[in-house]
Amino acid sequence: MSEPLRHNLPAEPNRFVGRERDVDELCGLLGETRVVTLSGVGGIGKTRLALRVAARSVPAYPGGVWLVELARLTRADLVVQELARVLGVHEEGARPLLDTVKGRLRGARCLLLLDNCEHLVDGCAHVAADLVASCHDLGILATSREPLRIASELIWRVPPLDLPDERHPDAESVRLFLDRATAAGTRLGEASRPDVVRLCRALDGLPLALELAAARTSLLSPGQIADRIGDRFSLLTTGGRTAPPRQRTLLAAVEWSHGLLSAKEQVLLRRLSVFAGSFDLELAEEICAERPIHRGEIVDLLGALVDKSLVLCDEERRRYRLLYTIRHFAAERLAEAAEGGTLRDRHLEVLCELQVRHFRTEMIEPAVPWPARLAALSASRALVDDQRAALDWAIESGNVRMGLRLCVHSTSLLPFSVNPAEIVGWMERLLALDLSDVPAERIAHAQAYLAYGLEGRDELGRALELATESLEGMGDDPFSACATRALQIMVLLRLGRADEAGELAEQIVAVATAAGDRWNEASGLAGLSAVALTRGRLREAQRYGEEALATARRHGHRWLLARIAIQLGAVAEARGDLVTAMAQYELAVPWLEEIGCDNELARCLARLGRVAAMLHDFGTAQRRLATSLSLSRQTGQRQGVARCLIGLSVLAEGRGDLESSVLAAASATTLRESIGQHAATLRIDELLTRARGKLGEGRTAALWACGRTMSPEEAARHVLTGDVAEQGPQDLPDGPGARDDRRGRGERPALTGPLVAEQPIRHSLLTAREREIATLLTRGLSNRAIAEELVISPATVARHIANIMEKLGYTSRAQIAVWAAEQGSA
Amino acid sequence: MVDSGTGLCLTERQLDERSAAATVQLRRRGVRAGDTVLICLGVGPDLLVATDAVIAAGGIVWPIPPELDAPRLRERMLASCARLMISDLPHALEAAKESRVRLVVSVADLRAYPAGREISTESDRAGP
Repeated sequence: MSEPLRHNLPAEPNRFVGRERDVDELCGLLGETRVVTLSGVGGIGKTRLALRVAARSVPAYPGGVWLVELARLTRADLVVQELARVLGVHEEGARPLLDTVKGRLRGARCLLLLDNCEHLVDGCAHVAADLVASCHDLGILATSREPLRIASELIWRVPPLDLPDERHPDAESVRLFLDRATAAGTRLGEASRPDVVRLCRALDGLPLALELAAARTSLLSPGQIADRIGDRFSLLTTGGRTAPPRQRTLLAAVEWSHGLLSAKEQVLLRRLSVFAGSFDLELAEEICAERPIHRGEIVDLLGALVDKSLVLCDEERRRYRLLYTIRHFAAERLAEAAEGGTLRDRHLEVLCELQVRHFRTEMIEPAVPWPARLAALSASRALVDDQRAALDWAIESGNVRMGLRLCVHSTSLLPFSVNPAEIVGWMERLLALDLSDVPAERIAHAQAYLAYGLEGRDELGRALELATESLEGMGDDPFSACATRALQIMVLLRLGRADEAGELAEQIVAVATAAGDRWNEASGLAGLSAVALTRGRLREAQRYGEEALATARRHGHRWLLARIAIQLGAVAEARGDLVTAMAQYELAVPWLEEIGCDNELARCLARLGRVAAMLHDFGTAQRRLATSLSLSRQTGQRQGVARCLIGLSVLAEGRGDLESSVLAAASATTLRESIGQHAATLRIDELLTRARGKLGEGRTAALWACGRTMSPEEAARHVLTGDVAEQGPQDLPDGPGARDDRRGRGERPALTGPLVAEQPIRHSLLTAREREIATLLTRGLSNRAIAEELVISPATVARHIANIMEKLGYTSRAQIAVWAAEQGSA
Repeated sequence: MVDSGTGLCLTERQLDERSAAATVQLRRRGVRAGDTVLICLGVGPDLLVATDAVIAAGGIVWPIPPELDAPRLRERMLASCARLMISDLPHALEAAKESRVRLVVSVADLRAYPAGREISTESDRAGP
């Protein structure tokens, strides 16, 4: 299997022209400073340059390079959510999400590319400052019209492309224009060169303006374009006349290009501004087909806008998007046309319809084959950006009814997809609005959904209360009522109230079976199995579990199947049948991988590893635990890391390495205490008793004390690389840790490599002349005095000194003097 | 050198030391031999340090009198094609927006702090 990507950067849509030295320098600066902000007007190429620099920097960041596109967010409080989503970090109970994100970023050196910060500049600045202060290996590259204004930010002003002159007829701007004109199918001969030069100058080397102009070369000559854009300057409408020159140039180019569009193209362009991120043809057809545009025309109109460089698309023409600058311009046109409200209503409505449809396909409809259910889940997840925008509009326009409907039908917001914090956030905002014209059932649904989020955040009391309350108002919707009861069961079991849970599970099974609702029938049976397990009735637990699995197979949803397989694994473990337990856990792994449910997968792999260790299948145990540990770290779950350490402790003891076993257990204990968790320590007590017997009281105490202060990474490394003579840690075969990651992220377990040795102190790299000058510095001579001594100019002396400082990494002459004195005496 | 405004003195040793440190800061920001560097500072020790540092870094000094009005500042900055400017003056920073200056380095940025690996930036002082 191939190495998973350590970045989420998109492929470049076309050739990157020029800026070679800028890219080099920025890569260098990123090594020297923590935060670099590329600033400049819209259309000057900040994002493109940043992406280029980021792509070049991938090898320098073992922790990965992660692009966070902020243009698609409307509110600053979503910045952390989006960051977590990109990094694959999940919320940990009630811990603030930002803290979990920080924990993840502290691991390995990584670079965040925060693109288009300007509209959320305060929020971004806040998050960036916090991250940089607490994650010492983190670099941030931001693009923003305005600087973030935080400590240690280096503001890098992106200039336009170089303009042609007598000495440089092939300046960057000319090269870009010709490249894009060629891509548009126009061949411009030498004769048009003077006009091209004139146009590049008129457009001030602004990349976006040049691209818009080049897209029109099939109709107009460069000279004609230059004249017409020149005319535009005097016609600038949108308050551009007082803007700084560069902004004015860009606006003129955009207005000119827009002015050449057909009436229908203009209508479509402005309507496309409602999309938060990228969109596909179908969505555009659903939302933008309204008088005067027919649904059937949209594909051609969209194609025309792509040809004119106003809309971007991927190579297969599957996903389309607008550049931030163009989207902003289009949104202004939409507002002018007074279409904003209607269109955003329509956007909300269509999103709602789509998500309800996906939800029904994925969960409710009977006899849908699994691939179709999975497709619905993926489609729903892909709408997350637009869904956020639509929910924002629902709140802004007071359309609580529709907002709630959209929210409760979004599997993309369910616990196995996104963070509960986001569910809770949306629900609380919606429920705080005027609910007087919202039907009671819909409010009840919303409360049940909010309860889901709260359960994920470990707010069990409130979750139970809300779920119970919502059941009263739920009305006639057996699916939701059952799903809410299933949630209650989950909470009740966590609270140790098995009797109540049992009753509810029976109710679910009765109702769901009658309704032919396989999802809830299976989940009710699984509830009965869990209740039986807590009561120690293992045979009953097994029977219900098997029934649940059979029912779940008829539904097909991998989430359901995996949960039940894990339940059956736990039952087998309880009766001491480790071989069956392992087989059940193994069954769940590919299912969880298929739906990309990292949290549950990490948990399952940890159980697998522990059971494998108990069965003395050390190879499997090591692989599974290493993968689980890596996933837990990636998703930021400290509890998961602690779980792996316990598994590793079992593994070490099984292999006869009692010392590492104690270390891992001690480190896990510290970690658990740090998250306020005091789980059963029976196993650890037993382990310590055995250790005292074999290693002696003193040695055990010393190991325990050492492990208590050891970082989880270090403790894990002890076990994973300890005394595995027959299987070196580097030979770890590919486990699921190396699986292809569908979301384009993930990393191999980084804990098996050897530590990189500290760099040795630099030896003298100095030339003879530089050594001579260094020696003179120890005598306290000034530049002028050194110059006289060596019969060279003071400027030359200064240059030599600068070279010495660079070679030795010093920042003052005094340091050279000290160094030279030490060298001399050595 | 004596600053006529403040009466503060800059000794030859201080000049050597400060310009050496400043040279390092310029190099770290990518100044290479043959690069034009704008200096827009009032007459005084800082101007001298900046000038020496640019020369030591192998750069070409392009001084701009800070008294010039905005259009002429812009015109000269644009004409220089410089990638870097040394200045603290708000009106110079404003004028640089329409030039090809990528980085603006303040006088404080040029004062190295020997312990730090990171480079000092203009927003260090603007930050919290």
